[in-house]
Amino acid sequence: MGSGIEFSDHREYTNGDDLRYLDWNVYARYGDLLLKRFQEERDLHVYLLVDCSQSMAFGSPAKFDLARQLAAALAYIALADLDRISILAYGDRIMTELPVTRGKAQILSVMKYLEGIHTGGEDTNLSRGVQDFLLRGPRTGLVVVLSDLFDPHGFRSGLDQLRYRRFDAHVIQLHDPQEANPQMLGDVEFVDIETQSARKVTVTEKNLRTYKKLFDEHQAAVRTYCKTYGWGCTQSPSNVPFDDLLVHMMRSSIATARS
Amino acid sequence: MSFALPTAFLLAAIALPIVGLYILKVRLRRVPVSTNLFWHQIFDEKPPRSIWQNLRHIVSLLMQLALLALLVLALADPYFAWQAKYARNIVLVIDNSASMQATDVSPTRFDAALERAQQLVTGMRDQDQVAVIVSGKSPEVIVGLTGHIPTLRRALESVKVTDAGTHLERAIELGKQLVAPYEKGEVIVLTDGCHQRVDPASLPEEPQKASEDKPEKEEVASNIVWEVFGTEANNVGITQFQTRRSLVDPIGYEILAAVHNASSEPIKARLEITLDDVPVDILPLKLEPGERWRRSLEKTSIEGGPLEARLTKITRNVEDSDEEDAPDDDLNYLTVDDVAYAILPQQKRQAVLLVTPGYFFLEKVFEANPMVDLTVLKEFPETWPTDSVIVLHRNTPVTLPSGDVWVIDPENDTDLWNVQGMLENPIVTKQADDSPLMTHISLDNVLLPKANKLDWKANIIPLAEAVSGDTIYAEIDRPDGKVLVLAVNLESSDLAFRTAFPMMATNALSWFAGPSGELHPSISTDEMTKVELSEEIANLYPKLTLVSPRDNMVDQPVIPGTKTQEGVSTSAASTSVGPLKTIGLWQLKPTVATDDESAESPTPDPIRSFAVNLASERETDLRTPTELLDATTTPSLTSSWWSRPPWFLLVCLACVLTAWEWFAYQRRVIT
Repeated sequence: MGSGIEFSDHREYTNGDDLRYLDWNVYARYGDLLLKRFQEERDLHVYLLVDCSQSMAFGSPAKFDLARQLAAALAYIALADLDRISILAYGDRIMTELPVTRGKAQILSVMKYLEGIHTGGEDTNLSRGVQDFLLRGPRTGLVVVLSDLFDPHGFRSGLDQLRYRRFDAHVIQLHDPQEANPQMLGDVEFVDIETQSARKVTVTEKNLRTYKKLFDEHQAAVRTYCKTYGWGCTQSPSNVPFDDLLVHMMRSSIATARS
Repeated sequence: MSFALPTAFLLAAIALPIVGLYILKVRLRRVPVSTNLFWHQIFDEKPPRSIWQNLRHIVSLLMQLALLALLVLALADPYFAWQAKYARNIVLVIDNSASMQATDVSPTRFDAALERAQQLVTGMRDQDQVAVIVSGKSPEVIVGLTGHIPTLRRALESVKVTDAGTHLERAIELGKQLVAPYEKGEVIVLTDGCHQRVDPASLPEEPQKASEDKPEKEEVASNIVWEVFGTEANNVGITQFQTRRSLVDPIGYEILAAVHNASSEPIKARLEITLDDVPVDILPLKLEPGERWRRSLEKTSIEGGPLEARLTKITRNVEDSDEEDAPDDDLNYLTVDDVAYAILPQQKRQAVLLVTPGYFFLEKVFEANPMVDLTVLKEFPETWPTDSVIVLHRNTPVTLPSGDVWVIDPENDTDLWNVQGMLENPIVTKQADDSPLMTHISLDNVLLPKANKLDWKANIIPLAEAVSGDTIYAEIDRPDGKVLVLAVNLESSDLAFRTAFPMMATNALSWFAGPSGELHPSISTDEMTKVELSEEIANLYPKLTLVSPRDNMVDQPVIPGTKTQEGVSTSAASTSVGPLKTIGLWQLKPTVATDDESAESPTPDPIRSFAVNLASERETDLRTPTELLDATTTPSLTSSWWSRPPWFLLVCLACVLTAWEWFAYQRRVIT
């Protein structure tokens, strides 16, 4: 619900809507409860920040595929709702960008764009990606971050920058089940698929238990951050259908908004 | 320290590939991960590949090399000089005679002895060696001196008790020979003492203690330790059971039975005798302690068959009413001597053609035999019968008829001999007592005024020879049939009036009839007997099988007969049977092939049956001699876990090392 002054059209009142925007004249004349919609409301900018670092290619199915499916679905919803959307693929910086666009008809170009992007880059740097995004001078709006947030520089600084610039944000954090619960034991050489850095270690049962603890702590930190600043947060393994995840995300967002 | 197998050290070369592989550093498995973020946190808290982590590989290598060294050492089988010095070499002589079946020691004396032997084997120390000898008429070394306990256990499990008599002396002698080369040689005899009475003077002295001065080698080597399993057990048993056809009544037979009450109690019992499962007689017995009962019974039966004597209803013979209630199960601790067997040969009718100018006593000898169908002729018939025994008295054709022929007092030359005159007063100095033709016959004091001096053209087997060396009674084995020649002039001698002559006739007829009618006395479980096989059987059945009373079959080797270059047989094919260590009725049968053709052919009849009895008064008497009980010592072999061989301890240590290595290095499998 925008707070502009230019009237655009009406829509039906639903429970919970702000009564200040009720068109009392229409109610008096026809008895219909209609809300006034203003131009500013139509001009909501939705920015989809899609993590396309190498780590998103991990897993089966790859996290990146689920991220693109979610991005496509969210873009369609936004375009159908007369919002403006922009998609930015980032790794250690903004790598490609779909400029701000609007209208349902643009969905095909959105799809084509999403098909065209692929994982790459040297590592994950959300902070630098957000810096690049902010340098483009975007209008304030909703930023949806689709990432695994396995950022060696930390996820907070990037999200903090969005917060300082008064962006509303929703974090969708994806992970592969093997990342949550690795099974390897003994002498192994871990190879980071982003940096190709190798680490020779001996994994014990105790190490595995510590890993799980750290992973859960990381997930909890993301949730806590989002909850602290009233942002939506969706965490999911990559082996779930994107539509189920989307429905779950919407429901949890509504619940968050109500609370 | 010495090594039994020093060549095992060659296996130490395996260390080279182990070290080589360590130097090569086997590449670790690469595992791609989406981020090292968390792993860094884990291993930065505790520095990765810490000192222990880094050391662990070199420690692991050292442990692997130590493991290899232990295994190589174990294979080399090290031993110390003191072990060899104090090693014991023991021969276990196990008595498996019939008396060891006595149940006065639970479950039996033999089982108790075997259990004790197992205990002794279990108590072996490293470098100790034990051999197992089973006593018997021919002692059998079941296993030679060895320290391998499983082999000894298996050997002891294979020892079975028999129905044979006790023969410990040879086994002990053999045991002495086995341990003679060793300083600490010992013969441990596990017996019930039911063998020949031991003279206390001949008993060995107490074994020398280690603390005493070392005795002479020979004295130690002859060290015998007796361990006796037995009590003053009562027993009653049949000690003799034989049968034979009557010498005077062709359809009669005689039974000789003897029973010994080897107990300290007067007993009552019944001796039940059956012929082919038909009761023949039931004899009530009343025997005082130690009494020996012996009886000869005369019975008649044309039919032969197996005779069985069985002791039943053994009870105390008491008149005191108080003692009547005493249980009787302590009177007879051995059952193997409660039954005995004999085989009564079947009598078959025989046709005899007697060609004689006339001699009353000769005719009467055959007429008196109810099993003989006698035909008497004065002249030779036109055709000789093939199914009769032909007896030619005086007059003989130039060529003897084929078949079985008995020539008495021949006057003419034939194809088998020439008559060279007369022998005046030939005194029999040599007779073949082992021949069935001479059974129960002695010609030593028979007056023989005249006999024909014969020049033999064929090979003969002399049965009676005169002092001059001339054979006056002989058997000739020819391809056309058996021939017996008695060169004695009957009319001038008193042979025809002696009981020897009917016996001679009966023996001759039995011999002509072949093995079917031959008398075979019962044999004891220790005896061996030789069975001569006819040429027909030897040719038809090259293999024979001995069937035990429990239907166990054993291949019986056949000793082929010998022949001269002219093809004349000098000795028949035969087989030696025995000792048969199970009482009962044994049978010697031709080995039947198991192919389809033979399945249709009828099973051949047994060649010969044997009645085997214990028939040993010493085995029946279960009471252990007191002098032996006094000499009994209880040998003890002790061992502990640490007295096991070094190789075993080395392998155990290797197992511990393996477990440690596994624990330290953890599982290396990634699921």
